[in-house]
Amino acid sequence: MNFNKYEPSLSALVDTLIPADDYPSGSEAGVIDYLKRQLEGDLIGQAPLLLTCLDCLDKEAMAAYRLQFSDLDASERESLLQSLDSNISSLVWPISPRDFIQRLSHLAAEGYYSDPGNGGNRNQISWKMIGFKVTS
Amino acid sequence: MKSKSYDAIVIGAGVGGGIVACQLAESGKRILLLERGRDLKYDDVGRDHLRNQRISLYGHNAGPDIVGNPRVLVNSSGERTLLRPHEGGYNNNAACVGGGSRVYGAQAWRFMEQDFQMASLYGVPEGSSLADWPISYSDLEPYYERAEWELGVCGDSGGNAYQSPRNKDYPMPAVRQTLSGRILLEGSKALGWNTLPVPLLINSVPYQGRRACAECQHCVGFACPVDAKNGTHNTMIPRALTTGLCTLRSQVMVEKIETDSHGKVDGVSYLYDDGSGIRRERTTAKCVIVAAGAIETARLLLLSTSTLHPKGLGNQYELVGRNLQGHYYPGAFGLMDQQVYDGIGPGVSIATCQFNHNNPGVIGGGMIANEFIKLPIIYWKWALPPDLPRWGMKNKDWMRENYSRTLHIMGPIQDIPSPECRVSLDYDVFDRFGIPAARLSGASHPETVRTAQFMWERCRDWLKASGAIRLWGERPSIPSLSAGQHQAGTCRMGAEEAHSVTNSYGLVHGHDNLFISDASLHVTNGGLNPVLTIMALAFRNGERIASSI
Repeated sequence: MNFNKYEPSLSALVDTLIPADDYPSGSEAGVIDYLKRQLEGDLIGQAPLLLTCLDCLDKEAMAAYRLQFSDLDASERESLLQSLDSNISSLVWPISPRDFIQRLSHLAAEGYYSDPGNGGNRNQISWKMIGFKVTS
Repeated sequence: MKSKSYDAIVIGAGVGGGIVACQLAESGKRILLLERGRDLKYDDVGRDHLRNQRISLYGHNAGPDIVGNPRVLVNSSGERTLLRPHEGGYNNNAACVGGGSRVYGAQAWRFMEQDFQMASLYGVPEGSSLADWPISYSDLEPYYERAEWELGVCGDSGGNAYQSPRNKDYPMPAVRQTLSGRILLEGSKALGWNTLPVPLLINSVPYQGRRACAECQHCVGFACPVDAKNGTHNTMIPRALTTGLCTLRSQVMVEKIETDSHGKVDGVSYLYDDGSGIRRERTTAKCVIVAAGAIETARLLLLSTSTLHPKGLGNQYELVGRNLQGHYYPGAFGLMDQQVYDGIGPGVSIATCQFNHNNPGVIGGGMIANEFIKLPIIYWKWALPPDLPRWGMKNKDWMRENYSRTLHIMGPIQDIPSPECRVSLDYDVFDRFGIPAARLSGASHPETVRTAQFMWERCRDWLKASGAIRLWGERPSIPSLSAGQHQAGTCRMGAEEAHSVTNSYGLVHGHDNLFISDASLHVTNGGLNPVLTIMALAFRNGERIASSI
């Protein structure tokens, strides 16, 4: 599956779900790699739905700001996600916008906090952040 | 194809099957030990945080495979859900050589005297099938001791004020106390509660030629990196194989226990994939021991129909598959104002049995303990406060600040069995070998929920007394089916044929050579992890089977 078209909005979404501070954002830690792998693997059956929802996200950004989601600044992204997470939307979504945001929150956390073998959590960075150290 | 005959065929190389196979082989019997799962090496189990026996979002690390092993769950409205092994409601246990013990948390609790006399002590609530065991704690005590010594248990032998009498100490001292354990010990002292280090089937010191625990962070749900966790895969099954009398075959699925024209059990038929297709074999034996776990054992007995046994084996009173039970796990989280995580595995460190019995107004009770080291993704999925946003900086900040400051207390509470909790066969759904799937239905008795609510309060008491500044965790409220890794009860032992499936040695009523050796036999399942009781029963019953063939 070709994700190139979706990558800017997916990265912007993931980095709003898990923003950077002195530890990396979701995409910086490899969450996009995790998601790509899952959308071609365990989640292949859900991929069309989730990608359609990403299109909806861009259309919502267009409706509210006349910009792609990835072109919004951080506070605009957060504000738009807050609305969608409360099911306030301009468009009709294939699933409720809240379900999409919650679903992506879970998927982003899986990439960020699970083992690096799943494609995310590069250099065990989230584990360093929270103090989970693998000793043997 | 007909192959050579054995003294006994043991179906399932888990805890109950591994122990019986070893005892029979060591007494000179020729054994065929069949296992549907694989013989997993350490690297096969791996450390995938999304696919393991603790959190199985996308699969399992110790079987069964997610394709080709469906079950059906029926809810209280009669709606059927088709489930794969890693999905909620499937009630999976590991399917591999060693069974659950390959990857378990290894808590090594003896049931208490009262656990064998639940109906006498508490009466039988309406709608429940609560009953006494046909044996007492003292019948099982010598076999608990054998399990503790032959597999290897560490713990504080005198630490539990509520432990029923024991004749011999544990062979190994308890694992090291953790920071969480020390903090909770202070809390329990303030409450006046008796606590003890959790007894574990883990080498706290080198034992039987294997190393001591490395205190790693991947204990429960995973294989041990230094082989210090004692299951049947590294104790009883290797012993059985050493005799040269036990043949272990993994990745074979028994489809039927066979009987002769007089209705006497004379072997089994099993299926396997040899790479070029599905093959069937039939092997004969003087006796058959079923040890496939409470769900699969019931399924196999129900599948084993014949002219003389039209409802399946042992099922003349339609009791096979009923009384399915496991454990409710009430629990609570507490946020502390200091770090409580020190990274020392396995992490489960302190428990109390103060509330297993004699609780006002409820039936039974349960042990509560602090939780194993929690994988970060498990913390995110299951341990966050309900009102915390699941995304944004607040979520990240919480993980960063509070993963290491959260305590989690929980424990298994005595399930009050219901005959409506049941394993049956679903003829609309078949596994990869074409065998009808297990169908699970029913919901636990409401008394189970009341006991769970009582124990949930005790979890909170302990956290508060230990200094928690914030508490969360859902109060148990809805009766649901409880089976899972602690699945039990589907072929209960008993004195009377009309109310049980086997006698007190696991011999199926109406037969002289068909035995059961797993938690299916449990009349009730204690308010404690059941594995040491499965082991003790297997030692006791295995001794009897060895002398009878």
